[in-house]
Amino acid sequence: MPGLLSLQRDVLRQPETNVTNPPDLDQIRRLELLEAYDILNTPPEPEFDDIVLVASEVCGTPVSLVSLVEANRQWFKASVGFEPCETPIEQSVCAHSLASPDLLIIPDLTLDPRTAQNTLVTEPPHIRFYAGAPLIGPDGVAIGTLCVIDTKPRPQGLTPSQQKVLAALSRQVIALLEHRRTSHRKDELFRRQKGMAANFRATVNKTIAAQEAGRIGTFEIDIVTDVIAASAEFCRIFDVPAVPTYPAKTFQDMVVPSDRGLHSTDRNRSDGSASMNVEYRIRTASHGVRWISRHAVLEQDETGRPVKMIGTVQDITDAKRTVLRTQALLDLGDRLRDLDDITDMALVASDLMGKAFDATRAGFGLVDKAAETLTIQSEWHSVEADALALKHHFRSYGSYIEDLKRGEPVVLSDVKADPRTSGTANALLALGIRSFVNLPVLDHGRFNLLVYVHHDHVYDWTDEEVAFIRSFGDRVQMAMAKLQAETEQATLNREIGHRLKNTFAMIQAIATQTLRPVTERGHVQNFEKRLFALSKAHDILIHDQGNASIRNIVESLDETLAMPGRIDLDGPDVVLGPRGALSMGLVMHELGTNAMKYGALSQPDGIITIRWVIDESGPEPQLTFFWQESGGPLPKPPERKGFGSKLIQMGLIGTGGVVTSYEAPGFSVEMSASLQQLQQAN
Amino acid sequence: MAQSTPINNRTVVLVVEDEPLQRMMAVDLVLDAGFDVVEAWSADEAVTILESRTDIRIVFTDVDMPGSMDGLKLAASIRDRWPPIELIVTSGHIRMNDVDLPARSVFFPKPYDTEKVTAQLNLMAAN
Repeated sequence: MPGLLSLQRDVLRQPETNVTNPPDLDQIRRLELLEAYDILNTPPEPEFDDIVLVASEVCGTPVSLVSLVEANRQWFKASVGFEPCETPIEQSVCAHSLASPDLLIIPDLTLDPRTAQNTLVTEPPHIRFYAGAPLIGPDGVAIGTLCVIDTKPRPQGLTPSQQKVLAALSRQVIALLEHRRTSHRKDELFRRQKGMAANFRATVNKTIAAQEAGRIGTFEIDIVTDVIAASAEFCRIFDVPAVPTYPAKTFQDMVVPSDRGLHSTDRNRSDGSASMNVEYRIRTASHGVRWISRHAVLEQDETGRPVKMIGTVQDITDAKRTVLRTQALLDLGDRLRDLDDITDMALVASDLMGKAFDATRAGFGLVDKAAETLTIQSEWHSVEADALALKHHFRSYGSYIEDLKRGEPVVLSDVKADPRTSGTANALLALGIRSFVNLPVLDHGRFNLLVYVHHDHVYDWTDEEVAFIRSFGDRVQMAMAKLQAETEQATLNREIGHRLKNTFAMIQAIATQTLRPVTERGHVQNFEKRLFALSKAHDILIHDQGNASIRNIVESLDETLAMPGRIDLDGPDVVLGPRGALSMGLVMHELGTNAMKYGALSQPDGIITIRWVIDESGPEPQLTFFWQESGGPLPKPPERKGFGSKLIQMGLIGTGGVVTSYEAPGFSVEMSASLQQLQQAN
Repeated sequence: MAQSTPINNRTVVLVVEDEPLQRMMAVDLVLDAGFDVVEAWSADEAVTILESRTDIRIVFTDVDMPGSMDGLKLAASIRDRWPPIELIVTSGHIRMNDVDLPARSVFFPKPYDTEKVTAQLNLMAAN
């Protein structure tokens, strides 16, 4: 019934104060769910329109709404008989029905204190009857209502079947919203997938274009005569003069030794076992090592005997090396992680780098900037090349040391052509160096490490290749720096430990001298032994780099007591922080001393059972430590509480949690403390 | 450097320690154990003393000391030149197992348990 409640906005905006706000948490959850449904302010959709139509028909009301309750307004996803698409929250009757999962039915709104002052009731359109079913999401959060409204009061409310239908339709609204959310997610995924597919296609297209640009050589081998008829492009790829035929062996001999067997030979061609699609490397006269991809088919005579091998070759060096470089970088990370020796690290990096480039040499050298010398640290070289001598003067090979000193990379494609090396090219050529990259690896701005790669032929280094070499240099430098820092840390720890122990020795000496006149020697000895226990706990801490295990501390007590076989200890490996370790060390000392004086260790057969467990059943994990003596004299509580007893009562970390017992078979104590506190760093 | 002069055939212990307070404590420990004591503040001085008298049975030495040799070199030199002398070595270094101590020597990390050092002195003197 359109037009019945056609109201003006200014009327709707009149404030209303009689609405109680639902608790904040419910509101937050409601707003979150509304956001997740992404439904607010969307255009009408027939599925929702149908629901309000059915609701108003079944309930016989002029108005029905799918009302979603936001913070400051209610917004209608669907409506019949009501023109505005929203009202301020103050005018919302639906807001009252959110608190309960049941239908809210108000037969006469003028009589209900919650709605009597509502301007929709007191002013046009003078609504009188309201029934709303809350829209409850899967997690029990109500986001609004499906409601029906009339302008006449209805003392009888809704019939049971009308109520059932309204509730069922409200669940249908939620089902629609959930479906909508799921399909939106699917759309989003689909869009992303489409984007990825598009990117992928673009990459493939680019690769195909590149392949089309890189020309393909063709060949035909007469298997009987072993003569190869090669196209001009084939000859260009293999870097040989373009003549119509060659003996097949000419090209077989160019294959690098480690790849032999992949390519075809007179034997595997004639027995038909040659692989048809292969990748292998050849060593060319002027372009160094190149990667070849070869596809071929065998032609057979009428008896089935192979007579010809026909195929194509393509230079795939660039694509292949890109893949190899990526793999080398990944391998480097893996392999550096396991090494703890600088020379080994540099060797692994040199090896990976040299192979990724099919280089003549690759390696790392230490630079003396003042003397302008390079000392080779680690080097990989190809089987054809010799290792470099250990030490070199940069100036013997050109003037490029100037660039290196400024921190700049030196990238030379031809040492004969570059002005920095042309005058000294023979010195480089004598070492088999026709082109090279030298990169200074800077450590905090200091240049003392150099990474280098050599080729014995002219080579145009790409930016990507130079970046790859730099990244190798940086990674090795970082690994070296880390190693050095760890070594320095260990030295520092030892030094601190040494000083600390000397300080303890000084305290011991001062105390011994100061307390010399004290006639009760027991007190002096107690002091000394406590100091000793603290020092031992520090030993364990420093030895384990700040993390001592409970086992170490208990074993240290066993060692100090020097009564083998008298302590039975067991428990999980638990590492303690410094505070926990020191505190526990002192407590162990007191327990041990008491056991020697009065408890199990004062008798020849007494033993101490020590256990510790971690209890994770509570809100935070607890460590519980048990000490049980047996075989000693009948225990009795101490007559006065000395320092030792107080220390024990303070527990594992000074927070108490101590239960002592002086029952048979002997003294026992159970100590609990927060594991997190025991383990924290300070 | 005041030195107790041995007046009978009691065991004589040479304490070598550069730090005065710690040397005082070590000397008291030796005296309290019922032995006679001779003090040196460096390894070099200890060698001079050992060269000048023959009654020293036990040397109780620190490791970190100034001078041309430290306590470890002293211990090695004593084992070489005066084989019968017993050796007790102490140091603030946490672990000494990296370093080779001479045969028949006992190590105590600092701060040491005076009771255990006393027991060790008694053991060595009894042999």
